[in-house]
Amino acid sequence: MKALPKFAIAFLCLTLLLPLPSHATVDDALSFALDAANPYVKEGFTVREDYWGGDLPVKQQKAIVHQLFKGNEYWFWMGTDVENARISVHIYDSDGNLAEVESWQRQHMAAARVVPKTTGSYYLIVEIEKSDRERTHWSLAYGFR
Amino acid sequence: MKHRVFFLPVTMAAFSLAGATLPTAMGQAPKQHIDVGKLPQQATVVEDIIVPVPSEIFGVLDKLGSPNWHDVVRTETPAVPGARAETALLLGDVIAEGFISVEAQDPEQVKKIGRTVLDLSAAMGVRKAVVARCSAIIEFADKKDWPRVRRELDGTLMDVKQAMTELHDEELAQLVSLGGWLRGTEALTQVVDSNYTKDSAGLLHQPALLDYFQHRLAHMSSRLRNDAVVATVEKRLPEISPLIGEADTDISKQSVEQIRDIVHDLVSAIAPNPN
Repeated sequence: MKALPKFAIAFLCLTLLLPLPSHATVDDALSFALDAANPYVKEGFTVREDYWGGDLPVKQQKAIVHQLFKGNEYWFWMGTDVENARISVHIYDSDGNLAEVESWQRQHMAAARVVPKTTGSYYLIVEIEKSDRERTHWSLAYGFR
Repeated sequence: MKHRVFFLPVTMAAFSLAGATLPTAMGQAPKQHIDVGKLPQQATVVEDIIVPVPSEIFGVLDKLGSPNWHDVVRTETPAVPGARAETALLLGDVIAEGFISVEAQDPEQVKKIGRTVLDLSAAMGVRKAVVARCSAIIEFADKKDWPRVRRELDGTLMDVKQAMTELHDEELAQLVSLGGWLRGTEALTQVVDSNYTKDSAGLLHQPALLDYFQHRLAHMSSRLRNDAVVATVEKRLPEISPLIGEADTDISKQSVEQIRDIVHDLVSAIAPNPN
């Protein structure tokens, strides 16, 4: 058997010593969003089987428009797989007023609850507040009852 | 539960705020007010939005009382149209009909709809994606497990659209959504009109959704826009906009009836009575 050239061995060692490249995806972020949703399912919330996501740099926000119906109660759950990231989701009505009745932030997760006062369009504002990654994957799920 | 991610690149790119608005310090309380007028133009014109699942609106209707859903149910089974655009519209319409049949708690009608969904999906080349859902609809209708039937109908709509998107038929997937929205809106106007209250009429206040559908139709390929039914829908949708009201304005009974008449015409074009 031929011995590997020295440069190849050096390259291999170097490769093995380097941190593994990140294969994190929105799917990983989604698992945290669904973890956040889990306790609320027991409270009667139906979780929609669609999810929204992408990646964002720190401090850049995104707005998503959503039609909400008066008479329903909604929870929006956001997740990220990045260990030390801090993320947030907040809900504003069509006039730009904060519409959520509560929100929280935890490791890997954030959530906000809204009981719409009127039927109409609402803005979901998602943000990566802190992260050591250049871009951080996030995912958003929601439930209603 | 299926884990599915829909990327909305257009939405996300268009709605990027890039720090121009809404600055918040880490962990601080959110701002009490944002200037939506300073959002990028696409965010207000509605490039893309989250289209609610029918369960969201039927859930509210449940809370408003017990309308006579048997009056709203359509018993005829529409024939499968030849044109794909019309089949897509009808598929959405029939799935919405499934929700109405669930409200009417009519297992035979729900089962019939499950089979029609399968036929229409086959015509669209996405049968495989919905076989399991349709079986579940029939199974749970037999058991009269209505919440579960609703979930499967929501899932069917999602799976059909996802399968079409995978086949690069996004525009047809949008027509499925539109067909469902029109039939759902027709049913909603019937229910609201039969026992009018300002609160129930308020459920029709969906300007962003209406903008979204109009925008989608306007940017559809000419192949689809030239379809006679699609063209009719595109022509008449703008008539609804002035009737669904501003955020602070009540939708009158008269407006509800006008909306009902418009959407009834469109649904009749999508699902003509086979007799």
